[in-house]
Amino acid sequence: MSEQIETPAPRIWVFIEQEEGQPHPVSWELLGAAARLSAELPGSVVEGVLLGHNVAGIAPQAYRYGATRVYLIDDPLLEPYRNLPYGHGVSMLVTKYKPEIFLFGATTLGRDLAGTIATRVHTGLTADCTELTIDPKLKILAATRPTFGGNLMATILCRKHRPQMATVRPRVLSMPEPLPAAEGELLREPLDLNERDIPVRRLRLIPGKEQLNIEYADVIVAGGRGMGGPKGFTLLEELAESLGGVVGASRPVIDAGWLGHEHQVGQTGKTVRPKLYIAAGISGAVQHTVGMSGSNFILAINSDPKAPIFQVANASIVGDLYKVIPELIRQVKGTRNGQ
Amino acid sequence: MHSVVAIKQVPDTSNVRINPETGTLIREGVPTIINPYDIHAVEMAVRIKEQFGGTVTVISMGPPKAMEALIECVEQGADRAILISDRRFGAADTLATSYVLAHTIEALQKEGPVDLLLFGKQAIDGDTGQVGPGVAARLQVPLLSNAVMIESFDPVARKAVIHRKIEQGVEVIETSLPALLTVEKEIATVKRAALSNVINAARYKPELWTGDAPVPFDPEQIGIKGSPTIVGKAFTPTPRGAGAILSVAEKGLRQTVADALAMIVQANVVTFEHHNGGRS
Amino acid sequence: MGSKHTFDAIVVGGGPSGSAAALTMARAGLKTILIERGQFVGAKNFFGGVMYTHALADVLPEYWERKPPFERPVTEQGYWMLSPDSVVRIMHKSEHYKQEPAEAYTVLRALFDPWLAEQAVAAGALLITKTTVSHILQDAKGRVIGVRTDRPDGEVYAPIVIIAEGVNNLLTQKLGLIKNDLPPRFVALAVKEYISLPPKEIQARFGLSGPSEGAAIDVFGDATLGLPGTAFLYTDRNGLSIGVGMLLEEFVAHKLRPYEVLARFKNHPVIQPYLEGGKPLEYGAHLIPETGYDRMPKLSAAGVMVVGDAAGMVDAVHREGTNLAMTAGKLAGTTAIAAHQANNFSAAFLKQYRQSLEASFVLKDMKQYRRMTDFLDSTPHFMGTYANFLNDAALRYFTAHGMPKRDMEKQIVGLLQERRSFFGMAQDMLKLLRAMRG
Ligand SMILES: Cc1cc2nc3c(=O)[nH]c(=O)nc-3n(C[C@H](O)[C@H](O)[C@H](O)COP(=O)(O)OP(=O)(O)OC[C@H]3O[C@@H](n4cnc5c(N)ncnc54)[C@H](O)[C@@H]3O)c2cc1C
Ligand SMILES: Cc1cc2nc3c(=O)[nH]c(=O)nc-3n(C[C@H](O)[C@H](O)[C@H](O)COP(=O)(O)OP(=O)(O)OC[C@H]3O[C@@H](n4cnc5c(N)ncnc54)[C@H](O)[C@@H]3O)c2cc1C
Ligand SMILES: Nc1ncnc2c1ncn2[C@@H]1O[C@H](COP(=O)(O)O)[C@@H](O)[C@H]1O
Repeated sequence: MSEQIETPAPRIWVFIEQEEGQPHPVSWELLGAAARLSAELPGSVVEGVLLGHNVAGIAPQAYRYGATRVYLIDDPLLEPYRNLPYGHGVSMLVTKYKPEIFLFGATTLGRDLAGTIATRVHTGLTADCTELTIDPKLKILAATRPTFGGNLMATILCRKHRPQMATVRPRVLSMPEPLPAAEGELLREPLDLNERDIPVRRLRLIPGKEQLNIEYADVIVAGGRGMGGPKGFTLLEELAESLGGVVGASRPVIDAGWLGHEHQVGQTGKTVRPKLYIAAGISGAVQHTVGMSGSNFILAINSDPKAPIFQVANASIVGDLYKVIPELIRQVKGTRNGQ
Repeated sequence: MHSVVAIKQVPDTSNVRINPETGTLIREGVPTIINPYDIHAVEMAVRIKEQFGGTVTVISMGPPKAMEALIECVEQGADRAILISDRRFGAADTLATSYVLAHTIEALQKEGPVDLLLFGKQAIDGDTGQVGPGVAARLQVPLLSNAVMIESFDPVARKAVIHRKIEQGVEVIETSLPALLTVEKEIATVKRAALSNVINAARYKPELWTGDAPVPFDPEQIGIKGSPTIVGKAFTPTPRGAGAILSVAEKGLRQTVADALAMIVQANVVTFEHHNGGRS
Repeated sequence: MGSKHTFDAIVVGGGPSGSAAALTMARAGLKTILIERGQFVGAKNFFGGVMYTHALADVLPEYWERKPPFERPVTEQGYWMLSPDSVVRIMHKSEHYKQEPAEAYTVLRALFDPWLAEQAVAAGALLITKTTVSHILQDAKGRVIGVRTDRPDGEVYAPIVIIAEGVNNLLTQKLGLIKNDLPPRFVALAVKEYISLPPKEIQARFGLSGPSEGAAIDVFGDATLGLPGTAFLYTDRNGLSIGVGMLLEEFVAHKLRPYEVLARFKNHPVIQPYLEGGKPLEYGAHLIPETGYDRMPKLSAAGVMVVGDAAGMVDAVHREGTNLAMTAGKLAGTTAIAAHQANNFSAAFLKQYRQSLEASFVLKDMKQYRRMTDFLDSTPHFMGTYANFLNDAALRYFTAHGMPKRDMEKQIVGLLQERRSFFGMAQDMLKLLRAMRG
């Protein structure tokens, strides 16, 4: 009789990020990706990892987005987020349950934590992936990410070390449809840590001025260097407002101080995937387009018929934006008024 | 007071060209720069030195050419520069890189205490932002990523108050020292280097550390051997493909804009009626 | 604040003239600082493309062992006279050009300038970049004692300052060594592109046997719309240097945009096939002083000397500049060494610099071609008329089958007279001769 060693089902883990009890939507995007990976990895399971204080209420949401089990460490030391207790708790879970794949959101928190975990458990971590698949031959995670400022894509593999870790930026993956009702298992684990073991302490939080979340806007009207100065942005605001959207920008706009950095779209700004993206006076450098090419519909306005932005746009208007935008506003408002 | 700053020389990605046939990077003639965040880290370290005395050491793992970047840091006011360079370090991923940098810092700690470790938020070539957290984990020092300001710094009580940017705003943290900060550009605006520093830098020769000397590195943890991740394949992103081109010059302003709006409506991404609301 | 930085000599500008001066002085043990404003030496410098080794050898005898970043030796050179649709070529190729090292090489300044500066550093000079000299410091008696840079605490002192700032000679002007800005009559503007091409293509197109051969071609006539000026086409290792240069005044008078003139030249039916498939990698514009011997600045004063383009040391006829610059740099350096030995930095002592220049080819050539700019200025039709004539004459000559040769010759002479009266022609020739003789 052969010795049957029971190998546990490969676990695909997603870190469920929360702050002040609010789950970050990127966690659900990641659960969607985990489900797709799981379909290609026979026998695998999708599970969530949740840390915080009084956050058990988030677990059922995770089930609806596809987690069959949630590992929960609930401890007062985990509110607010600090690198050390989170690093301690999560790496303990990894050591104990040996997941095959572990995904994090490439948020400030996720990046802070994932880099720590990967080093602690001594494995590979691929940052800022834009696509996650299972390599059909090797049956391991194939994580694709842009390098060299978005000029090149590279598919990264982690052959020998486990878990295979990756981070993905919010809005790079699409949001899955939640199931109306789903059951899951909640597994609590202790933190085993004292406050005096933690050499950092939050003194206070200065809330951000405006919580502009262009990542999750449905309509973005973005302006580039072609706007020529800060004044023109009032026009873009007017157009954005009439479309129920927000204003975005390319980097030179932020560098010049015409708008705050929270408006920046692109490689070093935010990744967005609105339904409608209007790019005015933006040339379309890769560093910009990597951040917005996931949009459903792109309308580009540029006076240069050879502008590279036209290569990614669904509709391109060759013309002076200072003529086109006011006309757009006029016609959009006209439609609104039922004309 | 001893601050150590890790800096990386990176290709100026605004100038990167890709061979579209082979999908490989044309490195030839691409200018290199100091990773933009890292020079702000150097500036911060120099300001701390100006206030509290002590020294600033910059370290970099990279090819011999990275000497230039280190010398630029000396121009900016660093006192000592170390290039950790060896063919065997090549093709390191973030785990192997964090090992080499952590091991180097440990060697410096043997010479005397290190109070502050400064890293850039991320390197613009790899864009991972993992090396700093990795080094902090290895050295078991507090990590403060995305630092935007040092509110107070007390080398005697070995405490500092740091502002770090997080999603909800700015978090003010008190930490013990030594601590590792990964910094945003706001941490300190880079001043134009004084002529004395530039003259010193022109005379300065950075130290060269190899895989064996002055401190031996574990051959299992460096370069390809020490890197769990490998690049399976590299390729140029596939363009989305261009859509319709509408020219104001040809069709006139009104018609062009009307055509564009019609396409948007057709694509069913936004419905303008939706906003009609109480207005009409 | 800050310690006072004192050197034996300061050189402003890391072009060929500045590096040559720094190298010469550093070799003699003078504590020398070379200050360059560019990101690196050579960052913004470019030129047509031919470097003459005689001057380099004079500055650095062992230059060949130091592996200068030459592109190709010039083994074939000459002139192309363009009419709107044809060309007459006068090219010279000789075994003589094949010795090594050759007399002239094409070079790219972004590579050559750093190499030459490195030689100065190897000799002991201190090089700092990204630093602009904003002022020349003088004592109460007007003697130059150092420079101020645009950096905090940015002053450096030395008993000798060598100004090697190039054609935009602001410091030379501020010191009053030259009256004012050069009027557009005396500056040429050149625009240039570097076009990358595989070496095999370059060799095939220019009839070169391999990378050890290269061509340097000056182009006249239609290249500059028949206006006074020249265009050039030089072969580099992996690319071509192509450009046009005209007096600033001409661009202004004819409302021409420099890049349009270059684009037109590149599209000329004779030129275009040479560039086919090449990728333009660099584009730039640069001034060339056409100061001429008679309008050169004062070359020295107490504690200061001016070298190279800053002093208008360009031979406009042969479009030589780097060799004059390097030789001038060396002679200024030698003078500085003598001044240190004599501990005498007075205006009178530094006059030696001008004397040694007079004895060298630098001022001899400058003197010889002193009327050249004036000649072109007063004979604006020279280029266009004669280039077109040559092409038409060649056409008759080569296609006049069945016509008595005497008639054909008459026709050709007639062609020329149609365009320019006999008297006018004779005048042109006389003027040209005078301009060439100096
Ligand atoms: C490491 C790195 C990271 C970067 N990250 C980002 C990033 O996150 N986001 C980002 O956006 N960029 C980023 N960049 C910068 C990027 O490379 C480009 O420089 C930038 O996107 C260009 O911005 P732009 O299109 O607004 O300006 P430009 O390239 O200057 O384009 C302006 C456009 O406006 C058009 N225009 C001018 N006037 C008019 C008019 N009246 N009407 C219509 N059109 C007009 C012009 O034809 C032109 O196409 C990054 C660069 C680097 C090196
Ligand atoms: C299109 C073109 C074609 C040419 N072709 C040829 C040719 O084929 N052969 C030939 O021999 N010559 C040629 N020349 C002429 C030749 O380029 C110049 O004569 C030569 O470069 C002069 O050298 P220089 O050292 O005097 O000045 P430059 O080479 O101009 O160097 C001046 C340096 O000083 C620096 N500088 C200026 N001001 C300051 C300051 N205030 N502080 C610090 N640094 C400063 C500049 O950045 C520059 O590096 C050509 C010129 C042009 C424009
Ligand atoms: N090879 C290296 N040498 C020194 N510092 C490095 C190196 N790679 C990364 N760093 C540091 O780590 C930061 C983040 O880099 P990365 O994790 O690659 O995005 C950089 O800003 C540097 O401070």
